[in-house]
Amino acid sequence: MSLTTPSTLPLRRRRLWSLVATATVAAMLLAGCAQSGPAPSDDTPTAGGTLTYGRLASANDLDLHTQITSNNAFAIDKIFEPLVSFDESGEIIDWLAENHEISDDGLVYSFTLRDGLKYSDGTDVQAADVKFSLERNIEKQGPIMLTAPIASIETDDEERTVTITLAEPYTPFLSELTGFAAGVLPSDFGGKSEEEFFENPVGTGPFVVSDWDPAGDLTFVKNEHYWQEGKPLLDSLVYTFVADDNQLLQRLSAGQIDAIETVPAANASEVDGNDATTLISGDSWAIEQVFFNTQKPEFSDVHVRRAIARALDLEGITQATTFGTARAATSLIPPSIAYSAADAGFELGYDVDAAKQELAESGYPDGFTATLLIASGNASRAQIAQIVQESLAQIGITIEIESIDLAAFRERFRAFDYDFMLNSGQSDSPDPNGLVTFQADPEGFSNSYWTHYTNDEVTALMHEGRTTPDGPEREQIYLDIQRILAEEVPYIPVYYASTLHGTTSKVHGLEGLPNASIRFQDAWIEE
Amino acid sequence: MHSVSASAGVFEAAHEAARGTDPGRESRALPRAIGRATLRVASTVLPVMVGVVTAVFFLLRIVPGDPASMILGDRATPQAVAALRERLGLDAPLWQQYIEFVTRILTHGDTGDSLVTGVATGDLIWSRAPVSLAIVAFALILALLITVPLALAAVRRKDGWIDHAVRVLPSITMGMPLFWIGLLLIIVFAVNLGWFPVGGVAPAGAGPLPWIRSLFLPSLSVALGMAPPLIRSLRAQLLEVTEAEFVTTLRAARVPERTIRFTHVLRGAALPTLNLLSVNLAYLIGGTLVVEKVFGINGLGTLLFQSISSRDFPVVQGVALYCAVLVVLVTLVTQVLSALIDPRLRRVR
Repeated sequence: MSLTTPSTLPLRRRRLWSLVATATVAAMLLAGCAQSGPAPSDDTPTAGGTLTYGRLASANDLDLHTQITSNNAFAIDKIFEPLVSFDESGEIIDWLAENHEISDDGLVYSFTLRDGLKYSDGTDVQAADVKFSLERNIEKQGPIMLTAPIASIETDDEERTVTITLAEPYTPFLSELTGFAAGVLPSDFGGKSEEEFFENPVGTGPFVVSDWDPAGDLTFVKNEHYWQEGKPLLDSLVYTFVADDNQLLQRLSAGQIDAIETVPAANASEVDGNDATTLISGDSWAIEQVFFNTQKPEFSDVHVRRAIARALDLEGITQATTFGTARAATSLIPPSIAYSAADAGFELGYDVDAAKQELAESGYPDGFTATLLIASGNASRAQIAQIVQESLAQIGITIEIESIDLAAFRERFRAFDYDFMLNSGQSDSPDPNGLVTFQADPEGFSNSYWTHYTNDEVTALMHEGRTTPDGPEREQIYLDIQRILAEEVPYIPVYYASTLHGTTSKVHGLEGLPNASIRFQDAWIEE
Repeated sequence: MHSVSASAGVFEAAHEAARGTDPGRESRALPRAIGRATLRVASTVLPVMVGVVTAVFFLLRIVPGDPASMILGDRATPQAVAALRERLGLDAPLWQQYIEFVTRILTHGDTGDSLVTGVATGDLIWSRAPVSLAIVAFALILALLITVPLALAAVRRKDGWIDHAVRVLPSITMGMPLFWIGLLLIIVFAVNLGWFPVGGVAPAGAGPLPWIRSLFLPSLSVALGMAPPLIRSLRAQLLEVTEAEFVTTLRAARVPERTIRFTHVLRGAALPTLNLLSVNLAYLIGGTLVVEKVFGINGLGTLLFQSISSRDFPVVQGVALYCAVLVVLVTLVTQVLSALIDPRLRRVR
């Protein structure tokens, strides 16, 4: 099997020397260029080519109104686009709408569609399609249903306008409209059946499904009618399903694929430091948290929860488990979302003596035994669990870690069959209402994310936050909510996760979004 | 030890007897032996199939975890989950689901549509099976290519250095988990040396060579994992047969050493190894499933892992059924091969 036979050795050496010589000359030339002027053609985007994007799960359903999991969501958002969207930093920007206006009373939202918008099949986008799409969103009652109190949707195809009137002010509405589930599709599925349509969907997005194995790869080709001039640059984009994260990383390192959706935090510096690969990292809308089941007697005691919060060195945990890629959390709302209290200093802070003091004030001064539930297959979470176990042993609380597979985990916590657990919270939009509603609304189906936490003041503030227009008053509402949550600790935000994607150094122009999706219309590959 | 007559005829008879090639008996005995083996396997096939189908069906449903919740994610309302459960037929009583499931196997020959993708399980399996079977086949070939020369080299001089090396070195891979062997091979031969792709399967359009190249490391991983017990078994058997009386007889008859070694000794020693191989079939198939994940190959193993984690019942059931069929088929083939190698097994009783 050996390739280094005596006869090939001299040849290899000669080749090596010529390579070294060429490289030296090239480096000198490049150095000369760098001194004399702008960099060479590296930065000039080239159109064409195929980008292979490795992902840990395959897209199995492209119905924008019934899906939420990222394997589907980040394929759907390449096909369907909303009126407004958000950029890398979560700022809301006009997308299919060329502009939007909100009436002073916060009730009427008016959008004007861009001129000449077409679907990928070449047909024109009508304003009425927006009404059809948003109504289907509500009718389907899917996981990202618009929750604004919409009274009417009026459209004018000639004027390309969409006017949405609300029954009462609902400030998060514009933010809700940025989600992929608010995407636009042709009325009545362009004459096809619903099933037929979603097998070969037609939207305004930069890419069109060309070949799709719901349990494997998904190949997109460029939408020739895309509204962004000259975009997308790529001819095709392939979502390759690779079930193992280590394999994903190795394939990127070997240049076998062009980009990967997820880089494990432990490998982020390796991807960043390697000349052949590039790390794309940004703030995300996800927060790793410890959730308490407040129906358990021990965890219904606020002093116990506070004691645990004070016993955990979140800086240390974050550093150890995310290898410096994430920031330790100090509030429920991450800094990437409006009105975050990350720098307000509400957090209790790490102090073992204070933790012991809190526990002494609780109904369990001598400690107790509890089980920490985690989903298996997540190395970083398993590590956090161990640190929590050791930290709590210091204050007299004995923790047993129960690690079960995701399906069983989900069944357990949804049935409130757990003591406390590690899980992550994620916002779908740049407005704080979504996260707060999902994690602190006792009337919501998730009962404050299965913590069963109820605080009437928080509930009242939450409702107020929805109707108060953006500004200092609304900011104060969310700061108050986060202050109360920090004091009462129904969950401990551990760290604000970062989005971590990897590409080979030949790939340029990817835009990482805070929801962990990537925009590919500006992507190009060096030849 | 019998006394050896100098008559050539006796030696020839011994030679023939050792090779077991009485043409008349062979033509009668072989089809019967195959028929008997088939019958024996067939009589076990039905209970095995029923057992596998039933056990997998109920085990999957005893394990906690709900397919509808897995499909819809954390944000799904209980109403949405209930509606999906109803649409997928998961709200029906268990016995009713079981009867429907068995009926579907008998009428359609597959275990139903995937709950996650909606694709028929049969189609999913047929599209995934070729690559998995290819790995199984290549692994088998590689395992034999590793086993036979090493065992033969070892017994050339018992307790020589080659023999020691052959006894010690393979135990290293035996002690390693399969995924670890896979990772090491990837790092050395794919990432550092670049001789093979890191993972995945070369597309069908690329031709057979890239395809074989892309399956080489996964197959080698499985082969390295299963070779050590085979080498030991074959070496031990070779030593035993080498010391058998008929070999001494053959040597005395000046039958060339090469003929003795490859025709008589290897054949005599092959049978226990072949049986060991068939016993290790579960390892081979199980190993293939693990190795697919390590190499990011979208075959049956990946499909199985995926389906188990998402509680995609029909697909898990389908893959289990398929693997059971495969095991039974290979057992049948092994028994036929045994009959071909060992004339004692096809003696008409």
